[in-house]
Amino acid sequence: MKKVFATVALVVFITGFIQAQEYKLAKSTGRLEIKEVNHVEIEGYAGNEIIFTSRNGKKDDDERAKGLRAISSMGLEDNTGIGLSVVEKGGVIEVQQLKKMDGPDVIIKVPKGVVISFSHTSPYGDRVTFKNFEGEIEVSTVHNGVVLNNTTGPMTIKTVHGDIDASLSPNIKNPVSIISVHGHVDVAFPTTLKANLKLGTVYGEIFVDPDFKIEIEKANNMVKYSDNVSGKINGGGLDIYLSSTHNNVYLRKK
Amino acid sequence: MNRETLEMLLIDYIDGKLAPEEKLQVEQELLNNKEAYILYEQLKEVIHTMERSAKLEPTEKLKSSFDKLLEQEIRSSKKNKVIFFQPAFYRVAAAVALVVLGGGIGYWISKYQQQQQELADIRKEVQATKNMMMTMLDNHQSASQRVLGATVALKMDRPDDEIIHALANAMNEDSNTNVRLAALDALSKFNKEQNVRKLLIASLTTQKDPIVQIALIRILVEIRAQGAVKELQRITNDEETLKEVKDEAHAGILKLS
Repeated sequence: MKKVFATVALVVFITGFIQAQEYKLAKSTGRLEIKEVNHVEIEGYAGNEIIFTSRNGKKDDDERAKGLRAISSMGLEDNTGIGLSVVEKGGVIEVQQLKKMDGPDVIIKVPKGVVISFSHTSPYGDRVTFKNFEGEIEVSTVHNGVVLNNTTGPMTIKTVHGDIDASLSPNIKNPVSIISVHGHVDVAFPTTLKANLKLGTVYGEIFVDPDFKIEIEKANNMVKYSDNVSGKINGGGLDIYLSSTHNNVYLRKK
Repeated sequence: MNRETLEMLLIDYIDGKLAPEEKLQVEQELLNNKEAYILYEQLKEVIHTMERSAKLEPTEKLKSSFDKLLEQEIRSSKKNKVIFFQPAFYRVAAAVALVVLGGGIGYWISKYQQQQQELADIRKEVQATKNMMMTMLDNHQSASQRVLGATVALKMDRPDDEIIHALANAMNEDSNTNVRLAALDALSKFNKEQNVRKLLIASLTTQKDPIVQIALIRILVEIRAQGAVKELQRITNDEETLKEVKDEAHAGILKLS
């Protein structure tokens, strides 16, 4: 009986997986603007299509909705079949979801030549995750946290209430600017990196792995102590700015 | 006696160069021959005239003044020689001086040109940096590029008005907070310039991004911009402003006054 149950569960799982819908867009350059999509995970890969996949599986067929189309007050249309509106306008691909709250849980696979811009303001989102992406990232959120996993940048990340956790790839590209107002900023990169580092907080504290040797910048031979730590590591190079106004900044070695 | 020999003899007779027997012969001829006598008279006349004209020499005074003039001329030409050509030392010195002067001028010209070239190169470089910065700040496709543009400005020693204007624009208008902060950071580096201070204070009025507002207030406090107090007071009473910004403005007023 148990066996049968397990088999049924597996079958259900597999069919669910198969039913996970995909939408592909042949594009390996340009700008991908993701706006107000609540549940997103972005993954870099070496291809030439942007692939949107929904993890929700196929929507239950609503008998009542047959023959009708889903529209939103913002004039969006579900042209992907997974609850997203994807519109391309002169090199800019705009991605929005139709539902205001909740919405589909999507994985977007993006080729590395594309610039990703993610913006989100509503309180209904999850943390947005970037994985293995070798390209430019712009993130501006109000409530969402941001997770960066093995990304190279260049990146400008800003959130008001979210936490930012980043583990950067060793081949970071200039510049890296990561700021949060109320959340913490926790960043890891190799100690061998050459960078002009600027770490800032107003009400929080700054924690740095002792293996980072920071030469604090001097003005007229005087070390200036303030909320901001500016200095060079390994002689200077990339511009890296990490700041949290009300929370802590952590710099770890990777 | 033919006429030509007679003439010769007569001329010698008049000059008194004849031997005594020839003289006698000529005198006899003059007595006997009337024509010879006429010829004698004519020749005598001619010779006398010639002798008189030969005696027409320059007067003593004329001669002496001429001599003086000549002497003077000689002396003066001698003097010239002394000054310009005589001592080899002067010649060598003049040559050396000329070479040195020529070399000096040449060196100065090449130095000047080199300096001009260097100056032009530096100016070109500055211009190139500036252009690069401007294009970066103007890159609407990439916020990272705009952040980099602002950081380039941070590395400049003296910004010109155009750069300050571009930075102020980025601080007030850019859609991306990271870019605004980077521009604010770059601008605050030049806070010694009066117009930059004015721009920073003016930005308090228009800035709507709370993160930038807080950073801006903190910078204004740090550079002790007294002129900002009035605007900070307005912010503390502004209902649309976030509480955190108001708190920062409050703290700012206390620190500034």
